[in-house]
Amino acid sequence: MDESLIILIVLSLCLGTACWLVFIWAVKKGQFEDVEKPKHRMLDDD
Amino acid sequence: MTKLTESTCSHCGISFRWKAIEIEDVDGGRKSFCCRGCRGAWQLICSSGMGSFYQRGERVTPTVNELTTPAYNESDLAQRLIPEGEFCRFDILIGGISCPSCIWLLERMISGIPGVEHVSLSYSAGIASLSINPLRVSPLQIFGVISQLGYTPRPYSPEQSDKDTRRERDDLLLRFGTALFLSMQLMAYSYALYAGYFQGMSSAIKQFLQYVSLAVTTPVVFYSGWPFLAGAWRSLKTRAPGMDLLIATGAISAWVYSLWATFAGEETYFESAATIVTFVLIGRLLELSVRRRAMSGISALYASAPQRATLVEGEGHREVDVEDLHPGDLLLIRQGDRFPVDCLLIDGETEVDQSLATGESLPVLLFAGDEVRSGCVNVAAPVTVQALRPVGQSYLMRVASLVQMAQAGKPRLQLLADRVSGWFVPFVIILALLVGIGRFALAGEGIGAAVMSALSVVLIACPCAMGLAVPAAVLAACSRAATLGIILRSGDVIERLATINVALFDKTGTITRGEPQVISFEACGGFAEPDVIQASATVEEPAAHPLARSIVRHAADLGFLPEDCREFSNIAGRGISGILPDGRRVLCGSEHFLHESGVDLRSFRDITQTSATHVLIAIDDQLAGLYQLIDKLRHGAEEMVTDLLSNQIDLGIISGDHQATVERIAAEVGVRSARGGMTPDQKLAYVQTLQNEGRSVLMAGDGVNDAPALAAATVSCSLSGSSDIAMENADIIITGDDLSKIAAACHLSRATIKIIKQNLAWAFLYNLIGIPIAMAGLLTPVYAAVAMTASSLLVSLNSMRLMRFKKNG
Repeated sequence: MDESLIILIVLSLCLGTACWLVFIWAVKKGQFEDVEKPKHRMLDDD
Repeated sequence: MTKLTESTCSHCGISFRWKAIEIEDVDGGRKSFCCRGCRGAWQLICSSGMGSFYQRGERVTPTVNELTTPAYNESDLAQRLIPEGEFCRFDILIGGISCPSCIWLLERMISGIPGVEHVSLSYSAGIASLSINPLRVSPLQIFGVISQLGYTPRPYSPEQSDKDTRRERDDLLLRFGTALFLSMQLMAYSYALYAGYFQGMSSAIKQFLQYVSLAVTTPVVFYSGWPFLAGAWRSLKTRAPGMDLLIATGAISAWVYSLWATFAGEETYFESAATIVTFVLIGRLLELSVRRRAMSGISALYASAPQRATLVEGEGHREVDVEDLHPGDLLLIRQGDRFPVDCLLIDGETEVDQSLATGESLPVLLFAGDEVRSGCVNVAAPVTVQALRPVGQSYLMRVASLVQMAQAGKPRLQLLADRVSGWFVPFVIILALLVGIGRFALAGEGIGAAVMSALSVVLIACPCAMGLAVPAAVLAACSRAATLGIILRSGDVIERLATINVALFDKTGTITRGEPQVISFEACGGFAEPDVIQASATVEEPAAHPLARSIVRHAADLGFLPEDCREFSNIAGRGISGILPDGRRVLCGSEHFLHESGVDLRSFRDITQTSATHVLIAIDDQLAGLYQLIDKLRHGAEEMVTDLLSNQIDLGIISGDHQATVERIAAEVGVRSARGGMTPDQKLAYVQTLQNEGRSVLMAGDGVNDAPALAAATVSCSLSGSSDIAMENADIIITGDDLSKIAAACHLSRATIKIIKQNLAWAFLYNLIGIPIAMAGLLTPVYAAVAMTASSLLVSLNSMRLMRFKKNG
């Protein structure tokens, strides 16, 4: 039982770290530069 | 006489009652436009295949008014290109963007210009970043397209400060994202540990969870919390304990205590350290995004100064750089040009728009021998002037340096949170030391246990509630203010605003609308009213004078549209004349002008309202009518004055206009103190004098001439649509036309301070109970968990009450 708990915690940390790396990538790429425009863009037909 | 029904412009969508410009659409339908500018924009859009723009639902398109050419020249703009690989980068600040459709249109229209490789437009800032091929397209061409669509392009060079803000925000975002991610992980372990405390848990698992907690908390405290640690270190060095010190002490003590507890097999408080850092980071991040829209105002002022001047040399003219002008140089200033330096009018007479210097919208008639300040616009006729000062010492640059000086010398108010932590932090630390020493020396405990009880005092004394008390209230207040149409530049404005006891206002453009409006019209001498209105609209139509514009607008509102006027002539400072299509000659102007022209003024009745400006109309040398115009008060002005006075705030009007006019307006709104004829430096000096008397000053203004005073004031306020430099020096921007929002902002700030004090009081109550428990060494995880959650929740909910703040108290 203890082993499974440890495995699960380590697994969740790994998953979390993967998301965190994506977040860092997004900040560096400037994905948060303008959060206003993209939400209108999807309504454009072309 | 032509009377028209209402029609709607196919481009900008406004309803109007003058004669539409009509063209035939490709599919045979007719399109009508309110002006040539709108027709031009429509043709441009349709010919570029962007016709679907008009099918978009929500659309706010600016009226194009005139076919304007941007006031920039090729070489100035070419200097702004930044080479990047084989192409050049070119940034444009675009004014007039009001809806997502504007972005859609502009992006497509600009990227359709041959030679433009890439465009990206930011909605919030209105800045277009272009990558262009300078061999195929010139920046001026791009400016041409943008202004043809009715938007105003301005060159934009990203200031260093702007880049710094961006880097700061990215940095903060990374720290916050990391803190949030790790805190969420941590919470899971913490709840497991809470449950284990009550139900029992094998010590191996407990130990393991504590190790993992330690691993995730350490980066939160030392990486995410680094800004607070650095701030705390700075405040220790300067011996000015502030909010940062409080947060850092709280986080570090919780971390150190828990580190010890992990290895000693005690209960840990890692979540306390992590939540303090995460919550306070949210506040910082939101505050920064509010601040980000601010741009450097000084650069905007430089942009309004002309770059080139026409030097008169004997018979010829030569274009020179304004930097190369020397006092004594003769310059030719064409109609519509700005005066590049302070100069003396030596030949000709003209009307000059001095709004930059005095804030007054009506042009002033100047003769040879009069002095003109740089930045003013020559409205009526070309004149020759002699330069008095080099450009660096001229009016515009003097204002710019005044603003810089005022910004630097602005008194900094010590914020409530800093004041509180100023005595609270030393108090807690001394208390903790006493507890530690007491336990070690008197109770004879081991050194480890003594240090831990000292740390537990600090830990319990710096809870989340303390860290949240101010940011939560400020955030709620800022978002409530935004929904009321009050934009606050930063959170600390609220605290400064609550201390205000003097409010100063500029007159023209702030208390009043800044443009004359027709309040009455009377026909006389047997002329029919519609006939005279029609005639005056026709001859006033080509004139650029604000009085003429108001008369034309007044006529248009009544449904009269200008006809073709022949032999139009504008006599500077006096009036205009022109010939109607039916051959009658019309004169419009002052009493003096008509009298000079030989019109019999005996039928001109005594004027009842002396404060109004009068425009007389004569048809074929017969007095035909009289317009009275007045610069009306802004909506909500009287309401604001009564409101502020009832809150013991002294009011004053300071203006560049004549003393008598200022006094009249002051009396009208109910303000006792009125000072006229003030230059920008006198306004600044007045604000500073009041501040030296120990008062906090709110300054509201809209013009370039108010900018130094705005920069120096404790809180500055500007209305949207003011000059750039005024807006950028404003702590508060009021959107819309309602001055009573200024009073609402004052009320909101006072309400916020009340909430902050309640929050702090609660945090103290918590300490009052918590510290003795910690001192007695009875701190248990149950108490800590319940108290922490309850106090944070209470503080947050209490702050949310600001969201329901009503405008009228």
